[in-house]
Amino acid sequence: MSTNILEVHGLKTYYRTRLKEHVYAVDGVSFSLEKGKTLGIAGESGCGKSTLALSLMGFYFPPLHFGSGSIVINGTDIMKLGKEQLRAQVSGREISYIPQAAMNALNPTLKIIHFIEDIMKEHRPELNKKQVWDMAAERFETLNLSPKVLHSYPNELSGGMKQRTVIAISTILNPKVLIADEPTSALDVTSQKAVIKLLKSLLDRGFIQSLVFITHELPLLYHVTDDIIVMYAGEIVERGTAEQMIFDPIHPYTKKLMGSIIVPEEGMKGHKLAAIPGTPPNLKNVPEGCRFADRCSYVQETCRKGKIESQTAGDRIYRCIVEPEVLKEWYANEAE
Amino acid sequence: MSVYGKYIVKKFFWYFLTLVIAVTLNFLLPRMIEGNPVSMIVSEMTQGMTDSDTIKRVYETFLVEFGIDKPLGEQFLIYLKNLVTGNLGTSFGLYPKPVTEILASAVPWTIGLQLPAILVGWLIGNVLGAVAAYRKGVFDKVIFPVALFVNSIPFFTLAIIMLYVFALSLNWFPLHGGYDYQMVPTLSFEFFASVLRHHTLPFLSIVLVTIGGQAIGMREMSIYELNSDYVLYSKLLGIRDSKIAKYVFRNAMLPQITGLALSIGTMVGGSLICEIVFSYPGIGTWMFTAIRQLDYPLISGCTLLIALAVLLANFTIDLIYGWIDPRIKAAQMEDQ
Amino acid sequence: MNSSFRILIKSPKFMFGACMLLAMIGLILIYPLFNRNDPLEMIALAYQPPDSKLLLGSDNFGRDLFLELIYGIRTSLQVGLIAGVFATVIGLVIGLASGYIGGMIDNLLTAITNIFIVIPSFVILILISVSIDSRSSFVTAVIIGITSWPWTARAVRAQTSSLRNRDHVNIAKISGYSTPRIILSEILPYIASYVVMAFVLQTASGILSEASISMLGLGPYNTISLGIIMNWALVFEAPVAGAWWAFIPAAISIAIITFSLYMMNTGMDEIFNPKIRS
Repeated sequence: MSTNILEVHGLKTYYRTRLKEHVYAVDGVSFSLEKGKTLGIAGESGCGKSTLALSLMGFYFPPLHFGSGSIVINGTDIMKLGKEQLRAQVSGREISYIPQAAMNALNPTLKIIHFIEDIMKEHRPELNKKQVWDMAAERFETLNLSPKVLHSYPNELSGGMKQRTVIAISTILNPKVLIADEPTSALDVTSQKAVIKLLKSLLDRGFIQSLVFITHELPLLYHVTDDIIVMYAGEIVERGTAEQMIFDPIHPYTKKLMGSIIVPEEGMKGHKLAAIPGTPPNLKNVPEGCRFADRCSYVQETCRKGKIESQTAGDRIYRCIVEPEVLKEWYANEAE
Repeated sequence: MSVYGKYIVKKFFWYFLTLVIAVTLNFLLPRMIEGNPVSMIVSEMTQGMTDSDTIKRVYETFLVEFGIDKPLGEQFLIYLKNLVTGNLGTSFGLYPKPVTEILASAVPWTIGLQLPAILVGWLIGNVLGAVAAYRKGVFDKVIFPVALFVNSIPFFTLAIIMLYVFALSLNWFPLHGGYDYQMVPTLSFEFFASVLRHHTLPFLSIVLVTIGGQAIGMREMSIYELNSDYVLYSKLLGIRDSKIAKYVFRNAMLPQITGLALSIGTMVGGSLICEIVFSYPGIGTWMFTAIRQLDYPLISGCTLLIALAVLLANFTIDLIYGWIDPRIKAAQMEDQ
Repeated sequence: MNSSFRILIKSPKFMFGACMLLAMIGLILIYPLFNRNDPLEMIALAYQPPDSKLLLGSDNFGRDLFLELIYGIRTSLQVGLIAGVFATVIGLVIGLASGYIGGMIDNLLTAITNIFIVIPSFVILILISVSIDSRSSFVTAVIIGITSWPWTARAVRAQTSSLRNRDHVNIAKISGYSTPRIILSEILPYIASYVVMAFVLQTASGILSEASISMLGLGPYNTISLGIIMNWALVFEAPVAGAWWAFIPAAISIAIITFSLYMMNTGMDEIFNPKIRS
């Protein structure tokens, strides 16, 4: 038995447009996540990472539809469960979610504690009101949040506080997997740090067993996650440890993504700032061959033919037909 | 003082100011008739009268009531004093009946017709609108255009059509009046049944048009709420759909309450004209008669009463709203 | 604006409303060219049912109801449009002043707007109409216009004050442009679609208001409007006489006109207001 808490195999999900076209925003994604580990997913907006976050939750509503593949959490393929089973047994309980816009994620006319009561009614109906209140207060205190927050309406909280409250609510059932979709991108630097600290303490205390952290700011992941996946046009283009991905990227897109970030993080000095020219391909009509070919400065003729499969190099995975050594040589030449 | 207490005081101040302005307009506007309004009114209303004694008596009554020989400021004071003592002058048409007496006999009919009709129409409209937004599909495609069409029919148009179809052609309901003219108002079952039969058609006309307008508003609000982030977040935490529907309904309903406050003036106006179509013995029918007879004191009594009633309705709705919407409460806290 | 228009043409709701309205306008423009009779001329007995000669029968004075209806629609549309223009312009000026200037002026104008939203315009409409002796349809339209601006003012104020602190407005201010010029070039284009929608709604409610006060007997003198036709029918007891043709066609005409205007508004709303797109 593996220690993998989350295993995703060949996940394909698509949006159905008004004209009944199928647009694959997640196109054959596979990865796994071990217990106690954190995984970062990065990419530009429109690369499918937010769709992936939603898709991992196993819940699909129009226009997003499930295509094929499996999402195995702790040995159970949640895509084989019925809708009601998924809602009652998995959502919020096995796998939980922190939305991109936590600002509006809370019902404005419901006090925090009443929302928590509603969640508990679904998942822990044996608890009475007092037990729920005690449990919520204890959890909030443990996470350095004032229990007073529980008796507030969402709009009485500041942005950073609201985000931390959402995180506390999302993890109140000790889910095995937590998916965080850009949890910090709308916050100021101080609140960002508080949120990241909070996420780490959730892992340390065992309230969650693994974390998938989605962001468009790759360097941010260096401080947060063990591994990083870079997505492009619905596919994984590279996977490695945070260290490898940031300081030693293989795929030209990862390389460019690193260069395009304007956050002067430690160890980042000396990197040239360069926006990636062009835009990701229209997913309605993906080009043959490598999907990044049109924007890649190292593009070869062979890049545009057939399907580009993932390659493995040690513990790393990348989707490029050029050998890593060759690529690194090119990068080195360019830096000079 | 509590937050809510302050809210009440603030609202009360605003409504009092509005009332003062409404009363002033009610005093001022009819006095803008060029020349001496009394002689003009008297000459118009005594057209065809030959009895010079009557003409003189009418003239003098009006001279006293309007106090036309005094400066405008003093006239206004007299007007206010009369108002406070419940003296709205003497009717021309039913001379020498006091206006207050006529209005007092009409008010129960109008309230008995409009209050239940507007409330029932509002409730049904909101439920239909929410269902249309929630169920979507065929249900929405049918309800929405029908509601839009019903909403564009003026109140009295529907009343006339109903009068023609159900009272004249089918003979199901009486043509006009508030009860059978052969009857003497008593507390008997027969009298009550007669009132109810006369009540049905005007009631239904008001209810149907109100449903249309409210359903459109509620549908829009519900679609807006259904697309909001908290719906997605609640779903992903495993909250069942029926509960989420409750969140949405409640949140969409709150603006509909203020919506009711803001549209109640128009609704009352339309309903008053409905009364005319059915010769219902309420304020609307009296105003119709008063206008035809150029019975100025009665017209101005009616308009004052309507303005007062609408202000009172608005004030009540504002109080209820402030009591149930936590967002308002929170906004008040921020004010402090 | 050109591209917005091209999008509008693709909205079935907008086109449905616009076509219905245009058909109505076409009818009232063309029919009087063929039938040059005076609509107030008595040509038949009272309450004659419709036949091949009198398409919608005659009224209590024996006048041709179809011809009256055509002229009635014309007056009602005119009154609605004039009222719509007045209400929109007044609401726009007050809303722009309130939202752009801000401060005390904003507080004052907002207070006035709120007060006149609460006092039923219907009441003020009656009071003014009673006081004015000889009302032409133009005067009636103006009275309706000046009593129904508060809604537009409120919407325009909200839009304007959210635009006031946008970058492009600030840049224009720093560049030393005059206030009227900033309002014209930096504010108005952004709220244009709202203003057009407000105008459509104001026109519809103007037509309804005219019908309401005409029903009460306070409509314009010496003309025929849809409300006046229904007022006559009620005063001369057409329903009791069973003469449905004296009021049902007028009633349905009002419903069709307002419905087509509402449809146009809904179509525009779905295009310009992405929040309610389902």
